[in-house]
Amino acid sequence: MKQRKQAIQPESSLPLSSGLRSLAGKRTSCLLLCLPLLSTLITGCWDNRELNELGIASGSAYDWEDNQWKATYQVINPSSGASGMGGSGGGSTTSPPFITFTVKGKTIMEAIDKTNLTSTREMFFSHSRITVLGESMARHGINQIIDMFLRKQDARETVFVFLAKGEAGDILDQLMQMTKNQGAGIQLMIEQESRLVSYYPGVRLYELAMALSSESGSAVLPEILLTGHKIMDETTETAVTDLPSRLALGKLGVLKGEKLIGWLTQKQAFGLSFMTDKVNKATIAFPSHPEAGDTPDASFILQKSSTTVRPVWEKDHYVMDIHIKGSGILTELGSIADLNERATIAEMEESIEQHVLELVNNSWTEVRKLGADVTGFAVRIHRSDRKRWKQIEQDKSWDSVFRDIEIRPHVSMKIERTGLSNKSFKSVQQK
Amino acid sequence: MPVHSKQGRKNRKDPVEAFIPAPCPLSPSLDETLQEISLRIGTSSDVIIRRFTNESLSSLALAFIYIDGLVNADTVNQTVIQPLMEHVTLKSDAITADKAYALIKDQMLPIGGVQEGKTVEHMLSLLFEGYTLILFNGLTMALAADTSGYEKRSVNEPTSQGVIRGPKEGFTESLRVGTSMLRRRLKTSDLRIEEYKIGQRTGTGVALVYLQGIASEDVLAEIRRRLNGIITDSILESNYIEEFIQDGGLTPFPTIQNTERPDAVAGGLLEGQVGIIIDGTPFALLAPSTFFNFFQSSEDYYQRYDISSFLRLIRYGAFFVSMMLPALYIAVTTFHQEMLPTTLLISLAAQREGVPLPALAEALLMELTFDVLREAGVRMPRTIGPAISIVGALVLGQAAVSAGLVSAAMVIVVSFTAISNFVIPSLAIANSIRLIRFLLMLIAATLGLFGIMSFLMALLIHLAGLYSFGVPYLSPVAPMIPRYLKDIFIRVPLWNMPMRPKTSMSKETRRQGPDQKPQSIESQKKKAQLTGQQKKPQGEDQA
Repeated sequence: MKQRKQAIQPESSLPLSSGLRSLAGKRTSCLLLCLPLLSTLITGCWDNRELNELGIASGSAYDWEDNQWKATYQVINPSSGASGMGGSGGGSTTSPPFITFTVKGKTIMEAIDKTNLTSTREMFFSHSRITVLGESMARHGINQIIDMFLRKQDARETVFVFLAKGEAGDILDQLMQMTKNQGAGIQLMIEQESRLVSYYPGVRLYELAMALSSESGSAVLPEILLTGHKIMDETTETAVTDLPSRLALGKLGVLKGEKLIGWLTQKQAFGLSFMTDKVNKATIAFPSHPEAGDTPDASFILQKSSTTVRPVWEKDHYVMDIHIKGSGILTELGSIADLNERATIAEMEESIEQHVLELVNNSWTEVRKLGADVTGFAVRIHRSDRKRWKQIEQDKSWDSVFRDIEIRPHVSMKIERTGLSNKSFKSVQQK
Repeated sequence: MPVHSKQGRKNRKDPVEAFIPAPCPLSPSLDETLQEISLRIGTSSDVIIRRFTNESLSSLALAFIYIDGLVNADTVNQTVIQPLMEHVTLKSDAITADKAYALIKDQMLPIGGVQEGKTVEHMLSLLFEGYTLILFNGLTMALAADTSGYEKRSVNEPTSQGVIRGPKEGFTESLRVGTSMLRRRLKTSDLRIEEYKIGQRTGTGVALVYLQGIASEDVLAEIRRRLNGIITDSILESNYIEEFIQDGGLTPFPTIQNTERPDAVAGGLLEGQVGIIIDGTPFALLAPSTFFNFFQSSEDYYQRYDISSFLRLIRYGAFFVSMMLPALYIAVTTFHQEMLPTTLLISLAAQREGVPLPALAEALLMELTFDVLREAGVRMPRTIGPAISIVGALVLGQAAVSAGLVSAAMVIVVSFTAISNFVIPSLAIANSIRLIRFLLMLIAATLGLFGIMSFLMALLIHLAGLYSFGVPYLSPVAPMIPRYLKDIFIRVPLWNMPMRPKTSMSKETRRQGPDQKPQSIESQKKKAQLTGQQKKPQGEDQA
């Protein structure tokens, strides 16, 4: 402001003959000073929104129906005391913490704009946490949705993406216990799952976009499902300790190109997590004496795991050398065993390794059958063997090359600690 | 106070002359002089004029004039009237006025401050300071004896700048008490006190105090020039002086500190500042002052350096909170909702349900309410004071929220802003950001965070352009002098601050001997062993 003043000063101090004209000069400079100030007031408030004019979307779901986009939005109802604080609005707990509504349109944005026909509030997507894609939609193709998320100003690329068999919109209706903001609840669920169990990777929208646009052209998405048949969408219904129907993570959907082509079971998904180095922490149940029986009677918490994948060209096909290294703690032991013996531990480690090996092989068989490179092998090959990758790209022969790939997994697991007791309780008790 | 603006405009040709009339010399005739004086003073009941003559000594006629209430009656009686009366009545020698004058002046007044004067104005100004005038018939000179002694407020604890640890005495309205407090703290021959009389009608005593050799001569010359340049009829408080002499009239930021604490003034003088003590107010001024001076409390030096540093950082934080918190709240809730954590956003949205006003109006309303409350708290008689806080807290806070007029979050924002404002030790700078806060709120409501940032940039440019008596306002941060940063954002231990801050611009920069860090006996022994046997006695000396 000061600078502006100085810039104008020469004009005001121009040698003017009459007093009237100098007054006019002063007035002009004053006006010149005021105009930019006033213009800020005019231009400023265009995107000003009060909090109570916003419909804060916490999740969205997209389905494909009658060749139209069907979008379902979950909008937080602040006055229900969703904050857990009550607030001055004096909300009652019987009103639902969020409301959902469904709109249809030829394009997604058209659908969103149609919300203004029904909603009292302007949709606000920056706090959206999850987006659920219906199976119909995933089979139709998801490129347009990804584009919309990447393009739109207030859409967040960090939303977690899920698949749903059947209607995706139904998922958003289900109330959750312990959390009122369902979108955030599902986000927590997948975050904790991938941190503590590692069966499914939590996939954010930008990760999905990156995977689909990479050399592999494939991606995985976890499925979210209702364990029961009924949707619990009334607040009174959730006032029980054990809900008959709740949200859970199910299978792992495999996308190739922009379309859903198949599903992996939980076990296969876990194997895939090992192959793609997505394991953070996991519990593995294994038989402590493999020769005595296959029933798992011991648990091992994998605390560190790392996977390295090295592609090797062997005559006419690729062999993927997969080295999985892990370490953790023995947490449960149901057989007779003396952990003071090095051999016992070695035996257990071998059993764990065997178990992981099985998971990986099982998973690979299914992935290969689907022909979708969700393992990211294409990226590895591109990085390590650019010449041959160029050839493959030219020939467009990746699918057949992929089918010929052979994997050679090597697993080495280490039991670092065995907990507070050196003998299993069973052996103590039988003495 | 109405200032002389209209009169000054009328006599535009020579406003100085209009204020300072030509001096009137004393008349040789006592009667004429007395007449002149009573003409000037009028018939005020507190002016006591006593004249006596001796029949046998017709040549000698004397008159005493003093103002009852400004003088100590005992002093007047015992040291002025009694000796003179004894002389006049007992000694019957013929004596001329000249001789009597010399005799009285040199031998008969058992009193320290005796002054001579030749003009009516001079004598009158002394009279109003509590001097007793002794006028002689036949002489154009008169004597004035310092008999002043009036009722003063006793030294009390400072009301506006209290400390937990540290001296509890503050300045009083008396200039002399103030200078004496400084003398007691600075027992050095370098302490200089220059006195000025400013104000045609108030004749207020203004003392310029500084430490010779530490205060910058340039600054001193500038302050003297500005003080001498003040032509006004009244100086009733230090702010009168402040407004007349401060740099950059058009800034909300103070460039002169004010303090009630003699220890703060002493500290300032030791760092090269110049103090200005004004008669009639307990608030002294300190100049030049930089932005960072306003965040230094004298208590910073009376408690451990770690806690002082912590508190100082809190003060800077509180400064920004107090200036920007309502603006940030408005900007974030109306423009940048995506910046909030979801839970907080929902909670805020829930509170705003049913609030009829936009966030800006809500914030303005509450901020204005607080300022009204604060002003009321200052003006209210002490006995009704607690009622204000009840009304403020309960009625305006609690009830306004439950009535759905404002949201609870806004009450928190406003109260935190208000409390933060009181954390800043200097009321002067705390007040300057009170106004900036409103401006920022308007900008935040129109331009969001972008507006706030732009405004802060402009503010920074403005601050960087300010000077206080030639010292850059943001020094030593801009211009950056790293080694003087020891007492800015944190306070390092005293033994680690051997240099005076650069703001003093003085030649003598060292204020401590080297190696002042306390050392343990063990480390000293080790050191002595390393340096050899000769230095051992020195090491013991230091212990």
